Amino acid sequence: MNTRDLVLIALFAAIVVVLGLIPPITLGFIPVPITAQSMGVMLAGCIIGAKRGALAFLLFVLLVAIGLPVLSGGRGGLAVLAGPSGGFILGWAVAAYITGIIAERFIHEGQSESRQFGGFFLASVVGGIVVLYGIGVPWLSAVTGTPLLAAATGSLAFIPGDFLKAAIATLAARAVYAGYPLLPVRA
Amino acid sequence: MLTSLYVEGRSWFHRLPVRAKLIALVLLSLSLFATQSLYLLAPAFLLCGWLYFSLGLTIRQALARIGFVFFTILVLAAVNLFLLPFPEVAALVLRLMALVFFAAAVTATTTISAFMDEITILLKPIERMGLLNAADVSLALGLVLRFVPDIFARYEAIREAHRARGLPIRPLTIIGPLIILTLKDADTIAAAIDARGFRRQ
Repeated sequence: MNTRDLVLIALFAAIVVVLGLIPPITLGFIPVPITAQSMGVMLAGCIIGAKRGALAFLLFVLLVAIGLPVLSGGRGGLAVLAGPSGGFILGWAVAAYITGIIAERFIHEGQSESRQFGGFFLASVVGGIVVLYGIGVPWLSAVTGTPLLAAATGSLAFIPGDFLKAAIATLAARAVYAGYPLLPVRA
Repeated sequence: MLTSLYVEGRSWFHRLPVRAKLIALVLLSLSLFATQSLYLLAPAFLLCGWLYFSLGLTIRQALARIGFVFFTILVLAAVNLFLLPFPEVAALVLRLMALVFFAAAVTATTTISAFMDEITILLKPIERMGLLNAADVSLALGLVLRFVPDIFARYEAIREAHRARGLPIRPLTIIGPLIILTLKDADTIAAAIDARGFRRQ
């Protein structure tokens, strides 16, 4: 890993910290407020790619674990990891990795704009929603004893907001890709 | 801006080495998940709660740190009441809360530098395999702490720019410029790090 990669990883982790400081947006038609930080997984994979995105989130989780209040709302520490949603936090790195893999495979320079939008959206949905819930929901079910089906049904309330996040992440990732492309190309 | 969750204090738990606390946390979680008995879980809950509240945090501070996690636990417990027998739900709640108390106690009594020293030791085997450089992890961590205030200032500048133009403040129009402006600094920062020979390559 060269120094530039190291710096990109650290800067992205810092961006995710700052996204947690931005006040969450509440929308009338979605029950849960949207925190900008939860878009970080999708953005990391789509913008700096699989490996660096995953490492940025490992670094971020390390910040949480050593007791810095970097999660949105000023939360942090080992208590959050020990709680019911610890699986989602630990799943971020994997989710960012899968998002990155898909983005690297589908996005190339010289494609039409709409294909790039499609690629980023697919990557965000699969990595940031399917993979993340695939880790977080069974974890929550195992830790709290809530039956898996009930836990999965309950998390459906978050899905509309997540699709909106995927859409915002897609637009932002494509804007960054047009302005300052960093995504590695995968054959 | 980023003040650690560590609390100054001289309790016996503060003086315990980090490694002992982390090993205790792992052992505690393994043993709590191995039992269903309320006769074991209830004392564990009381003991961990007593430990956490005896660290010198005011009640309000102490609750603010774990309130959110407890809220999630209680919401899930309320759901569980419809699906599982009561003693089982009680066991689940006591177990998780005991664990959260203990984890919060470890966080409140351990400084960032103590954690970092321990992490450097834990990373040694991975370093020997040649997968990663432990010094890089500390460097990356330092970079994050160094740049968060800068990036936040940049976020505020972009927000002010929106205001000045009478534009609504939307995450979409903020995130793009924020990320581009921040990541464009990467080359300069990397060059500065290499020029100082921090990574000895």
